[in-house]
Amino acid sequence: MTRPALLLLALLPLLALASLQLGLTIYGPGEVWAALRGAEGQDALIIRTLRLPRTVLALLVGAALGLCGLLMQSATRNPIAEPGLLGVNAGAALAVVLGVSLLGLDGIAAMTLMAAAGAVAATVLVFGLALAGGPNLPPAHLLLAGVTLSALLWSGTQVVILLDEAAMEELLFWLSGAFADRPLAALPWALPPMAAIAVLALLATRRLDVLRTDDGTAEALGVPVRASRLAALVAAALLAGCAVALAGPIAFLGLVAPHLAQLAGARDHRALVPLTMLCGAVLALVADIAARHLIAPSEAPISAVTALAGAPVLLALLRRRRLGTA
Amino acid sequence: MSRAAPMALLVAALIALAIAAVGLGSTPIPPERVIAALLGWGERTDQIVVWNLRLPRVALAACAGAALALSGALLQRTTRNPLASPSILGITDGAALGVLVFLFAFSDEANLLQVPVVWQPLFAAGGAALFALAVTLLAGRDRGDPMRLILYGVTLAALAHAAVVLMMIVGPVYRSGQALVWLAGAVHQAEWRDAAIVAAALMAALPLLVRLAGPLDQLRLDGASAFATGLPVEAVRATALVLSVALAAAAVSVAGGIGFVGLVAPHAARLLFGSAAARELPAAALLGAGMVLGADLLVRAAFQPIEVPAGAVTALIGAPYFLFLLTRMGRLNA
Repeated sequence: MTRPALLLLALLPLLALASLQLGLTIYGPGEVWAALRGAEGQDALIIRTLRLPRTVLALLVGAALGLCGLLMQSATRNPIAEPGLLGVNAGAALAVVLGVSLLGLDGIAAMTLMAAAGAVAATVLVFGLALAGGPNLPPAHLLLAGVTLSALLWSGTQVVILLDEAAMEELLFWLSGAFADRPLAALPWALPPMAAIAVLALLATRRLDVLRTDDGTAEALGVPVRASRLAALVAAALLAGCAVALAGPIAFLGLVAPHLAQLAGARDHRALVPLTMLCGAVLALVADIAARHLIAPSEAPISAVTALAGAPVLLALLRRRRLGTA
Repeated sequence: MSRAAPMALLVAALIALAIAAVGLGSTPIPPERVIAALLGWGERTDQIVVWNLRLPRVALAACAGAALALSGALLQRTTRNPLASPSILGITDGAALGVLVFLFAFSDEANLLQVPVVWQPLFAAGGAALFALAVTLLAGRDRGDPMRLILYGVTLAALAHAAVVLMMIVGPVYRSGQALVWLAGAVHQAEWRDAAIVAAALMAALPLLVRLAGPLDQLRLDGASAFATGLPVEAVRATALVLSVALAAAAVSVAGGIGFVGLVAPHAARLLFGSAAARELPAAALLGAGMVLGADLLVRAAFQPIEVPAGAVTALIGAPYFLFLLTRMGRLNA
């Protein structure tokens, strides 16, 4: 393990502790420890029922989004692929809104399913659109197709929400993306697929490495390129759907985490997969802590925080790399 | 073939659309009574409803559509990029950010503005100019790469949008629901003052546009040839860019972020009337006005009494068209 990777690993528990301590009221480590051990009282209750769930959620969703971004980037050899920018989050959101307001779906399980279905549908749509523009998925085309599809799907979501005022309040809150005050009932539904995909990704690291080379090399090495790529993209879409079901649509995290992992010294996927998940969790915690303090006493939507931090990263990526545009 | 006849047809269609839009409402007014009221005849109640309640909304929709379409047409010419438009290059979101900064800075605790609201478009223009400048500077190094310009624009738009979301929470903007509708581009709360702001911007731009028509056609040549014809290339581009930013800012400051009009209207205008600026620009303005007016008419007819933002409909039309352009460009490159 490289030194930056160890640093990140050491940072994680510190950030998790900070996430339990910081907020409108700031607690000392002693109080946190007491609360975790089951102390009575209002402060302990706040730590256990408000701070702890959002910290756990940030860790899980951050890791999932990071892995989702990495899978998309590796499968498409596109350094700027990401569920938020490519419209996958928007697809999941529209599917949930449609399910709640048109089909009258209720309950966490149905919402999670709808989110996953919407994410997969949007993934198929955006890659289909980009493929229609040329055989080699030019990175710029993919991003533009995704951003436009995202705008389109958001418009649809907006119309549905405005038409169904009863569902509006709840959905608007959910759509803004946050780790706080989420119903944890979605966890039993979203966690197993997320964990399964993480394990599969860890097992398939060699194949992911090969996917990052060119098609000819991959074929010569005996990797079925189309099937592997499709599997990676579907897995990424499912991760995005689960993340949306848990915390609402969050953009840019999936873009930044894999690049941070590479900066920390990860080269092949054996290091990249775990390190990206670690980076995603760290970034999500940082974003969540920032969301509490940025415009205190109000809480900032996590997506706004990640966009403020992530957009400059995307600009830097655009400046640095020849993306094979035009 | 004479191009005057189709242009006249376009004007007639726009007028018919406007009359239909004025007639539509909680109590529908038939067209002949609308025309009578507009001409100052007819019943007193009709006149009041038409002039005070319905017409401001129609006028704002038409003016905002025209301003956005002109802004898009100018952008596409100065950047030589068919995908350019104020919303895609982040200019719309920049203007929205300017408006929110204005509301944030000059409201007291009771959410009352401390300064006249006419300053609002200026702040919108400031925000729009800032983001236009940022995109231009970023893309400057990669001039001639059309995709990169668009990518920078999209990224900066995301940045501006995030800032807008934060400002909406901290700022004294009505209720968040209303702010959301405004951001998506809506004209339903229009007053004459709003329409007048955009109309004034259009009027101010008109003489400049007339003078720019010739140079803008020369600009379609490549840089060196354009320069060789004696054209002050940079000056023309800068003027057109400033004009485009000002028009977009005026529209956004009162009508919100109505997307994709600035992209689609110029394309339709070129398709119908060819690419000479003297014909393209007026046609784009008319088509843009018709597009927003039609979108607003559509949401009112379909969803009344719920106010769905007209911008949602223009996105539903414009986004697929943009995707079509994108795939076609991709195929040409391949």
